[in-house]
Amino acid sequence: MLRMVPLPRFAGEETGACCFPPPCSEAKRGRGTTRRVVEGARRSALGYLGDEPMSRTQGAGRAAAVAVFLAAVFVAIPWAIASTGRTDLYYTLSSVALLAIASGGVWLTFYIGRINIGQGAWALAGGYASAVLVATYGWSFWLSLPAAGLICAFASVLVGLPILRLRGVYFSMVTLVLTEVARLTALALPITNGARGITSIPTPGPIRLFGLTIVPAFDSLAEPNRAFYFLSAAMMTLCFAGLWRLVHSRLGQLFAALRQNEDLASSMGVNVPLLRVVAYAISSFLGGVGGAIFVAIAQSIYPSSFTINDSVNFMLNCFLGGLGFVFGPMLGTLVLYFGWDLLFQTGPYQLLIYSGSMILLMLVLPNGILSLLNLRRRAP
Amino acid sequence: MEQVIANGLYLGAQYALIALGLTLIFALMNVLNFAHGQMYVLGGFVVYQVYGLMKLPFVVALVAAAATLAVLGALLERFLFRTVIRRSEREESTMLLAAGIAYFLDAAILLMFGEKQRGVHKIVSGVFVWDNLILPWDRILVAGLAVLFIVAFILMMQYTKPGRAMRAMAQDRTAAQLMGVPVQFYGLVGFALGAMLAGLVGGLLVTITGVNSGIGGPISIKAFMMVMIGGAGVTGGAIAGGFILGMLESVGLTVLHAYGDLTYLAIFVAMMIFLAIRPNGLMGKPWG
Amino acid sequence: MSRFPSIRAGLLGLASALALSLAAPADAANPVLKIGFVGVTSGPAAAWGTSNVRSMQTLAEWWNSQGGVKIGDKTYDIDVVTFDDQKDPKRAIAGMEKMAQEGIHYVVGPNVDDGAAAVRPVAEKAGIIYFPYAFPKELYAKPASNAVLGMVASYQSGPAIYKYLKEKKGVKTVAFVAANESDPLSQRDSGVAAAKALGLDVVADKDTYQNDTRDFTPVLTPIVKLKPDLLVLSGVAPANAPLLIRSARELGFTGLISTETAQDAKVLEEGAGDLANGFISVGGASTPEIRSKAMEEFIERYTKKFGEYNDESNTKVYALQYIVDTLKADPKAIDNVDEFKKTIDAFSAPNPYLKDSSASLHYVGDTSFGQKRQLAVPLVVNEYQDGKFKTLFVANVD
Repeated sequence: MLRMVPLPRFAGEETGACCFPPPCSEAKRGRGTTRRVVEGARRSALGYLGDEPMSRTQGAGRAAAVAVFLAAVFVAIPWAIASTGRTDLYYTLSSVALLAIASGGVWLTFYIGRINIGQGAWALAGGYASAVLVATYGWSFWLSLPAAGLICAFASVLVGLPILRLRGVYFSMVTLVLTEVARLTALALPITNGARGITSIPTPGPIRLFGLTIVPAFDSLAEPNRAFYFLSAAMMTLCFAGLWRLVHSRLGQLFAALRQNEDLASSMGVNVPLLRVVAYAISSFLGGVGGAIFVAIAQSIYPSSFTINDSVNFMLNCFLGGLGFVFGPMLGTLVLYFGWDLLFQTGPYQLLIYSGSMILLMLVLPNGILSLLNLRRRAP
Repeated sequence: MEQVIANGLYLGAQYALIALGLTLIFALMNVLNFAHGQMYVLGGFVVYQVYGLMKLPFVVALVAAAATLAVLGALLERFLFRTVIRRSEREESTMLLAAGIAYFLDAAILLMFGEKQRGVHKIVSGVFVWDNLILPWDRILVAGLAVLFIVAFILMMQYTKPGRAMRAMAQDRTAAQLMGVPVQFYGLVGFALGAMLAGLVGGLLVTITGVNSGIGGPISIKAFMMVMIGGAGVTGGAIAGGFILGMLESVGLTVLHAYGDLTYLAIFVAMMIFLAIRPNGLMGKPWG
Repeated sequence: MSRFPSIRAGLLGLASALALSLAAPADAANPVLKIGFVGVTSGPAAAWGTSNVRSMQTLAEWWNSQGGVKIGDKTYDIDVVTFDDQKDPKRAIAGMEKMAQEGIHYVVGPNVDDGAAAVRPVAEKAGIIYFPYAFPKELYAKPASNAVLGMVASYQSGPAIYKYLKEKKGVKTVAFVAANESDPLSQRDSGVAAAKALGLDVVADKDTYQNDTRDFTPVLTPIVKLKPDLLVLSGVAPANAPLLIRSARELGFTGLISTETAQDAKVLEEGAGDLANGFISVGGASTPEIRSKAMEEFIERYTKKFGEYNDESNTKVYALQYIVDTLKADPKAIDNVDEFKKTIDAFSAPNPYLKDSSASLHYVGDTSFGQKRQLAVPLVVNEYQDGKFKTLFVANVD
């Protein structure tokens, strides 16, 4: 299946800015080649994740950061919402989390060097997969969620094999067309109920294990929105943790090698087409999962639920957060989606202010918001 | 059938002109200009203002549209794109800038010209009828003008000094710079020219299809498709892509008339298959 | 990476602080009654929501300038809170959540099917009655209960129009053309069914176009060849109507053209000129023959405030009027939508926008939805003639 080839030694040395640092365990072991690759990456201007060989203090710092993040998402935010009574933020932040998951998928395709403007297609497909399974076949939402992701992953392999041969703008354009193809397919198929969409989809039911109710049925809750928030936030945490682990694995290194130079990687014996399609399948999986939860919140899906605009926004989220950072799409989604909501009282000037600030932000931070971290690191 | 081919040719002429501006900017700057459609819309509104409301001659309005957009394009290049390209690590980052500009123009046009569809009175009336073929004279005139602009553009690129410089830049920016081409200056000129083409075609078409503030995004996406079919960054590719998409729509809508709902699905899937077979479009250079 | 969570938390804090500070109430002598709008006011479909918002704002300003509206024993100033959903159902939900947060119980919008379906869970949970401009029956039929259709549905106006044209103009064959999007396609399907039920011969019912189409000649070429007596533009956007009409006429189409959606005369005049003469569309209190002095004043105020009137507002003026009049009839409904639902069954008030003094505002929908979940808006079928609409006939929906 997947051939895991050790990264060619000179890739890092020759370009000086090639590859991704290996998993920290290996870095600690200090194998010669990887050490050198790490050095190369460290010198690189990109500094993905700002990663450096782990020292003990940094390890502690990272653990603390994760703890702060978890506390913020799962304790501080719900507490703040409860104490201010701004329950509408539950939905807004759930949206941010779900869109961030899909954007995370797009980020992964960026990571292998492809500009993906087709994530809307997979969000739509995942949404429909879950909707059909739940509404037509009576599945539990909880089963339909992974199923939706897997269906998207499988379908994306079929689509990805031919189109991943395309590069640059050609790939981005073909994925843009793919979004439109997904919408038109949803309009044409009988199983998706065509133009009339699928409505009145039941909310997620309970999860019971050995007679114990682990998750109560959502419609029995006083605030289903809070439940959806926790679900979305948990999924986001899970997905980004997975993504982070992935890019720090051997597979992640290989993905990075693809971004640098597919031909070179191929000549080293890396199975480029396979790796590309694996990355794309993971990306689509994330899109499908995000779309499926959205449908559960809206309890309805239409062919227009995810459109080209969404595809473009997923991509913009990655740019805005910073392509060089796993958590870029999360921050980018927060700023772009939440920003629009914040401006809602500006009435007719909303879009003007929104886009104006987008341009300004781009002028000041052309490498994304998280590139601030690099500046700070370089300064002292 | 004559009618179908005539429709396709007419559509193709206007599509090709739209695609030309987009591909020029892409070739010179490696910028995928998401705001191309909005520039088209702005051109349309300038003509609406000058010809439709102020009642000045159409030619004046068209020149005004071209000039407005050329200036706008130059300003965008000089103060936004140049800065971002210089400072960003991955040149795709300009996509976010271009998208931001697209939204900004959308918002500005909506505030300035309102949400309604706008149109102007016909520039020439009457319909040309020949056997089965029916073509209004104003369409013939507009298609003729579009072809004229395309030819003028090709001649300029082929035989003038700026044209040669820009072609050199499109082939290899660094080499062109080493040969003494002032690439910054010609980047600016190219951007202005690309924007001007968008405004020109928007201004031309306002006489037939009118204009409204919301169509910029869809036009951009359509233009992307043409460029992609023909091959990005190549003049011939843009023209071919425009005509192919025009023909595809015209013929597809007639042939697949009985399966109406599926027509566009078929067109788009065909496009994807075509690209899977020819990853650089019809005549594009490999990118990246 | 290590700084990221704190940045995020900081941003969030800042954001919520901003959001809270923005939510300051308007300063007025009267207590303020907030009425919401969630719909599309930017992008390609901006025209739909814009005419809604502007109708509401014009009406609210008018009432407020007269000292507010008296509901029960209190006098309120009306404040219209608007949210642009960009025609995205996900944003529409966010908008509805915002409305709930603002304590609003009556919301006009959304403008399209997917948005209207998506906001249903929020509206029902938060106790909001909303007035969509979308036609799917499951929004209004039981078990749904919080949506009230704000206009005449295509499956109600279509049959009336086709019947009239069949009897008065001898129409025998019909062709349909629609954009390949949910709303127009659903309207086309119901139109085809209605035409068939009347015994009309449907010669084309599958032709679609992409909504970004600017030149409709290729779309219409095969249809015009079939020479139908009537060409129906199902669910056509106001921006596309003149283009379709112009292309059809220039291709030599001589039959009738109609649509079931509201159009704007100025747009038709600019986009198609004389070629649009005879085009049949639907409007509210639209034509001079039937509209009252109050409607004239509304149009005047609208034009003064926004520079130009939009004929779509002939229908869209009604939603806010209905909300306020129903609240007047039952002041308890002001923050209790169950009261509202009880009241609407028997509600009746004079229609201020029609000359006909016997015309009333009341809720309908028993036939279509099994419960009263629709505003009784006069079904006025117009014919465009030289820059103006002429009334063909007026009908009522039950």
